Amino acid sequence: MTVNLERRSPVTLKGRPAKTEIRDGWRIVSRYSGNAQGPHIIDLSHFSRWDIQDDALEQVEPYGSKIPAKPGQIFMDINLLIGRLNRTQAIAWHFAPEKPVFPQTKAFTDITDAAVAIALTGPWVFDLAEKLCALDLSEPDKNPPFLVQGPFSHVPCHIWVLHHEDSRGCIALTCSRGYAGDMVNGVLEAGAQWGILPEGEDRFRSWMGW
Amino acid sequence: MAFTIVCPVCGIRRSYEFRFGGEDKGPRPEEDTLTPATWCEYVHLNNCVAGIQKEWWFHRDGCGSWFTIYRDTTINQQVENSIDETNP
Repeated sequence: MTVNLERRSPVTLKGRPAKTEIRDGWRIVSRYSGNAQGPHIIDLSHFSRWDIQDDALEQVEPYGSKIPAKPGQIFMDINLLIGRLNRTQAIAWHFAPEKPVFPQTKAFTDITDAAVAIALTGPWVFDLAEKLCALDLSEPDKNPPFLVQGPFSHVPCHIWVLHHEDSRGCIALTCSRGYAGDMVNGVLEAGAQWGILPEGEDRFRSWMGW
Repeated sequence: MAFTIVCPVCGIRRSYEFRFGGEDKGPRPEEDTLTPATWCEYVHLNNCVAGIQKEWWFHRDGCGSWFTIYRDTTINQQVENSIDETNP
């Protein structure tokens, strides 16, 4: 008997999808209608995320890639992000359209369904972030990409600063799934003055050059 | 309670991101010689130093690390270690 699992994103964005697809049980919006300049909020919750914990992280190589040596550093490749959290923990994030093969070793835990992931892209995203986050994401000493662990909209988050150019940029946020509604409402409320709009994953891919 | 704490993983942050974990009382008492009185003293009784004390903090809104710092309780600021730990 074939079982078709339906997986639901914790994020609900009000907009008119122009292109959607079903992938691995997720209903994914690739593109919303309209072509506004942004800023944009993009639901990334359907992409696979793995928590990696090991006493010897330097010997763990997700997808043959090295985990960065210092907390806060990010390794970025096509369709792959790996962020170092602390001495024994890292997060790997896959953006490939096909589902990645899960490594059968004790270091890996699939946390895709446990967390919410959104991206903020376009102009004014760092101004928007300043309204919701006391941390300095524009610190001159830090060059994107880098990872910060701290409160965003009062919610403990992993804040992935992926791109920063003048006032434009790309920030990805991950936090516990239960905060999704409040987090999205907070971002939309804070971004209303710049006309923030929902966008699909195609926009995120184009920002990342994938 | 507005002061900053240096997290060993995340760097300097506002104290609002942390949870206080109590005084650092050193290692647990040896179980061979443990009495209810010594266990009670270890768990419940504090020194309440007016000055510099070593204490545990938890980075609740950040990396989730437990670590110790030295804080001057009279000015409520993190300070460098100036306690002679060989002579507590």
